Amino acid sequence: MDPKLAEVSQLFERFKAACAREDVDTCCNVLSKLKVLLTGFSSLPPLFEDTPNAIHELTLARDIYEHAVLLSVKIGDQDAFERDFFQLKPYYTDASSSRLPPSSQEYMILGLNLLRLLVQNRIAEFHTELELLSSTALENPCIKHAVELEQSFMEGAYNRVLSAKQTVPCKTYDYFMDLLAKTVRDEIAGCSEKAYGYLSVSDARQMLLFSSDNELLQYIKELLLPVLYESL
Amino acid sequence: MAATMVSSAGALLAMLNETHPQLKQHALYNLNKFVDQFWPEISTSVPLIESLYEDEEFDQHQRQLAALVVSKVFCYLGDLNDSLSYALGADSLFDVSEDSDYVHTLLAKAIDEYASLKSKAIESNAEEANVDPRLEAIVERMLDKCIMDGKYQQAMGIAIECRRLDKLEEAITRSDNIHGTLSYCINVSHAFVNRREYRREVLRLLVNVYQKLPSPDYLSICQCLMFLDEPEGVASILEKLLRSGNKDDALLAFQIAFDLVENEHQAFLLNVRDRLSVPKSQSSESVQPKPSDPEPTQNENSTASEDVPMTEGSSVSTATVQETDPNEAIYAERLTKIRGILSGETSIQLTLQFLYSHNKSDLLILKTIKQSVEMRNSVCHSATIYANAIMHAGTTVDTFLRENLDWLSRATNWAKFSATAGLGVIHRGHLQQGRSLMRPYLPQGGSGGGGSPYSEGGALYALGLIHANHGEGIKQFLRDSLRSTNVEVIQHGACLGLGLAALGTADEDIYDDIKSALYTDSAVAGEAAGISMGLLMVGTASEKASEMLTYAHETQHEKIIRGLALGIALTVYGREEEADTLIEQMTRDQDPILRYGGMYALALAYRGTANNKAIRQLLHFAVSDVSDDVRRTAVLALGFVLYSEPEQTPRIVSLLSESYNPHVRYGAALAVGISCAGTGLSEAISLLEPLTSDVVDFVRQGALIAMAMVMVQMNEASDSRVGTFRRQLEKIILDKHEDTMSKMGAILASGILDAGGRNVTIRLLSKTKHDKVTAVVGLAVFSQFWYWYPLIYFISLSFSPTAFIGLNYDLKVPKFEFISNAKPSLFEYPKPTTVPTTTSAVKLPTAVLSTSAKAKARAKKEAEQKANAEKAAAAAESSSAAANTGKDKSSNEKDGDSMQVDSQPEKKAEPEPSFEILTNPARVVPAQEKFIKFMEDSRYAPVKLAPSGFVLLRDLQPTEPEVLSLTDALSSTVSPAGGSAAGQQGSASAMAVDEEPQPPQPFEYTS
Repeated sequence: MDPKLAEVSQLFERFKAACAREDVDTCCNVLSKLKVLLTGFSSLPPLFEDTPNAIHELTLARDIYEHAVLLSVKIGDQDAFERDFFQLKPYYTDASSSRLPPSSQEYMILGLNLLRLLVQNRIAEFHTELELLSSTALENPCIKHAVELEQSFMEGAYNRVLSAKQTVPCKTYDYFMDLLAKTVRDEIAGCSEKAYGYLSVSDARQMLLFSSDNELLQYIKELLLPVLYESL
Repeated sequence: MAATMVSSAGALLAMLNETHPQLKQHALYNLNKFVDQFWPEISTSVPLIESLYEDEEFDQHQRQLAALVVSKVFCYLGDLNDSLSYALGADSLFDVSEDSDYVHTLLAKAIDEYASLKSKAIESNAEEANVDPRLEAIVERMLDKCIMDGKYQQAMGIAIECRRLDKLEEAITRSDNIHGTLSYCINVSHAFVNRREYRREVLRLLVNVYQKLPSPDYLSICQCLMFLDEPEGVASILEKLLRSGNKDDALLAFQIAFDLVENEHQAFLLNVRDRLSVPKSQSSESVQPKPSDPEPTQNENSTASEDVPMTEGSSVSTATVQETDPNEAIYAERLTKIRGILSGETSIQLTLQFLYSHNKSDLLILKTIKQSVEMRNSVCHSATIYANAIMHAGTTVDTFLRENLDWLSRATNWAKFSATAGLGVIHRGHLQQGRSLMRPYLPQGGSGGGGSPYSEGGALYALGLIHANHGEGIKQFLRDSLRSTNVEVIQHGACLGLGLAALGTADEDIYDDIKSALYTDSAVAGEAAGISMGLLMVGTASEKASEMLTYAHETQHEKIIRGLALGIALTVYGREEEADTLIEQMTRDQDPILRYGGMYALALAYRGTANNKAIRQLLHFAVSDVSDDVRRTAVLALGFVLYSEPEQTPRIVSLLSESYNPHVRYGAALAVGISCAGTGLSEAISLLEPLTSDVVDFVRQGALIAMAMVMVQMNEASDSRVGTFRRQLEKIILDKHEDTMSKMGAILASGILDAGGRNVTIRLLSKTKHDKVTAVVGLAVFSQFWYWYPLIYFISLSFSPTAFIGLNYDLKVPKFEFISNAKPSLFEYPKPTTVPTTTSAVKLPTAVLSTSAKAKARAKKEAEQKANAEKAAAAAESSSAAANTGKDKSSNEKDGDSMQVDSQPEKKAEPEPSFEILTNPARVVPAQEKFIKFMEDSRYAPVKLAPSGFVLLRDLQPTEPEVLSLTDALSSTVSPAGGSAAGQQGSASAMAVDEEPQPPQPFEYTS
């Protein structure tokens, strides 16, 4: 085996081990090294040169990026998620046609990305991504989940959005589901601001789907602080 | 390789956001590779990459790479300015040798930018342009690359554009064909360098380069020097050549002189002539040459070997006297020759002989015109006289006038003026005899009892026309006549005559005389005085212009204002930017006549430069001025600005030619006529064709004249529309119901079509692509005929003979043959019109003609002994030859007959030969020039491979006696000449006795 490839696989093992230990700092360091090493392979995108170890290298690189995406979810870094996902994407869209067998994680990660777009309220991009998916992909539970969520979100059936948290296809989705709840709350808060002259605390709590008044007050504080600062 | 392509640059862009610098580098590196494909995607992330470029901590190389990527994206987005500034940031990464759209686009942009910065800096007189050194570096890299790759023309173009004369010089000196590149460079500098000052710099550089060459091309150097107006340089070159012992050098000097004369720059030529040093003449030879004088000692050494018995030093004094003699004598002899050439006399004399001997004008056309024109219609009557003058311009053949004295006498007043002046056109260039010719009509000193003032004024004008641009001998006489009269008609003629004779000399005394005529404030004299002042000051941009302008504001007479306006325009001839202030002043004037003069000023200042600014200005006035006259002139002026690129004109004025305003249509017609004159350009003819049947009479007139100018010297074989046009003219002339205006146009057109005995064309550019001052000025004043018919004669200034005239060392015309590699019928004279009854063909000569091809071959071998008749048949197509041998004995009608017989079998029975042999001097029409070949085994070799004009011939067998044609032919064949051209010469049969045709007998008006 190519020494470079061996080095990468070895490092990757260390990365996985660190992941298992939940040692985030080591993970990030190792990952960064891995990415630099990967730039040395010409078989990877965007060059896709036909080297003898191409398939192996491609598979390994894809694995690394998939892990990187999952890691970013774990540490809650949306920017890192976006970066890693875009770097992973060519492996799905461009490499799969020729040599690379499809990855088992593919739909899960695609679903995650959709969810992320939903959370960031980037609906246009969400639909663009959706258009790029095949009909079989749309059948996949991970994707379906995201699609249904978006529909509920658009209809304004916020309760359905929140209750969907219980039916996540995979636990990595939790992170985004929490964020989604916040997005929904922001939406509701924005609407109520326009709709009501005043609102009782209990009504507000119910409407914003908080379980306790404390949570509500905390939320209001966060929401109002910037406004207050501005008025000062 | 199953190429798998990435479908998006998203991954790379995402990578740019990574924290690790190596990842950013990798991303940048790949982005640079894929930018051609993914620039739309990348464009959204441009700010990000820009920030990388500006990041000080980033590696230098990477920053440049970032700049390159940004530059490419901007280039694709079409934002070339930003693209260029980032490309400059990319520095060495921007590879000028890369073959991609991006690099090509940016290089062009960079060079443009650099050139505009440079020229702006020079225009604002800033010492050093604050040009980005990086930009300069790119341009220099490009220039070096061009030179390395051997693309010298490209390098020269860029260097000229960017005002990098150092690079220009490098490109020229490093090229493998220096002479070729140099001449290319001269062309480029004339065609594309817009600013006169800068063009001079380029030319000066070229002269320097030329002079450094081991074998300098003196012909080109002298052309450049002429443009630079440095007579000293030309004079010293000529002198060097003349003093050389080699005969060939002297020939070259003569050739240079002829080429210079062709540009008709009278003042310059006189300067050169005066600067040639005087030989140590016979008288000074008696004085002992001082020993310190280097010249004779050199001669002594060189010639010492010839004088064998002389012992060196024994008798230095006697030896020098004897030995300097031959060299000085040779020099003196050559000097007289070259002075003759430079003064224009030699070429004028030769031209006159050529035009006289080759005259092919068709009197029948005139006869038809004369018969069809109504007696009482004086416009058409004088138009016929004009047409006759133009048709016989420079041929000295005035048979028509002579035969129709009765008819002629109907001309009264101004018609008489122009009838007399017409003689000047006919005898144009008849320098020696001009005065005696006109004597009967000239004002008789003091007595005043002579003829009418009209014929006297006309005669003075005629003298001017005869001596146009060569007025050394006649100036004084004209001045005296001007001073001694106070009849305004005579003043008018004298002013015009003086202006013509002293064209461009800027003579102060003459100016003062004319000025006093102007200040009499008489309309008729003032108009001529205004024009005359302009003629005198052509191209001097002198202070006098403002003086004239002031007077134009003061006077009440429109005629004077108009004359002055044109005169002012003439003073700025060829001055380009220098004239801008004056032009501005004139075009903003309240008075439409001065604005009209402003149009002429624009036209003449920017003559033949195709300067965009001038064109824009003219087009603006053509559509926006309130006065029809100004608009008409603005369009017309386009013709002058564009005559160096005649192909452009029809395109530019095509819309104007469809204008609702007839004045604009008229202007468009004349613009095409002027700029495409003598070219026979197909587009020009197509544009003029509809205008010849316009609804407005004067548009028809203009179109007919313009068409004739375009078609001059063409025959039906080269464009069938010529025949159609001739028939159209005939129809208009014969039509009783046609308007006078268009009838006049048609008559003039038939004159121009057959101008100068069918041996001249209208040419505004010399063969070296310089402008011919006289010709341009002539056409400019000619276009004034709208207001003043006698100015029609100015068109004769623009006629130049289409001839190849080979000359030997003695400036005689030796017998010399060369080949025209084209079908003879393509360039032959148009067939003479015939009276219908004579068309019954005589088949007899056919037998002779069937062997004409063989006869030609034989004629080559035994040309000398060959019977003249057969020779004439062989050279039937080159009918010029026939005239040389003096055997053109058929009368006019008979000539027509035989011509037809000649051509019929040629065309039908026998395939036409693909070439013809021409004999010196021969008629070579402009379109024919590219077919001219010189025979290799000929006795003479031309000094310069020019297909037409005056060419000096080197005699390769100097020992054998030379056979001369033309001059000797004329004098030796007196007896046949009496019968020769008899139909045309009529009473002038005795003319051929002298070397010069004699003046015709004076005739008088019987009125």
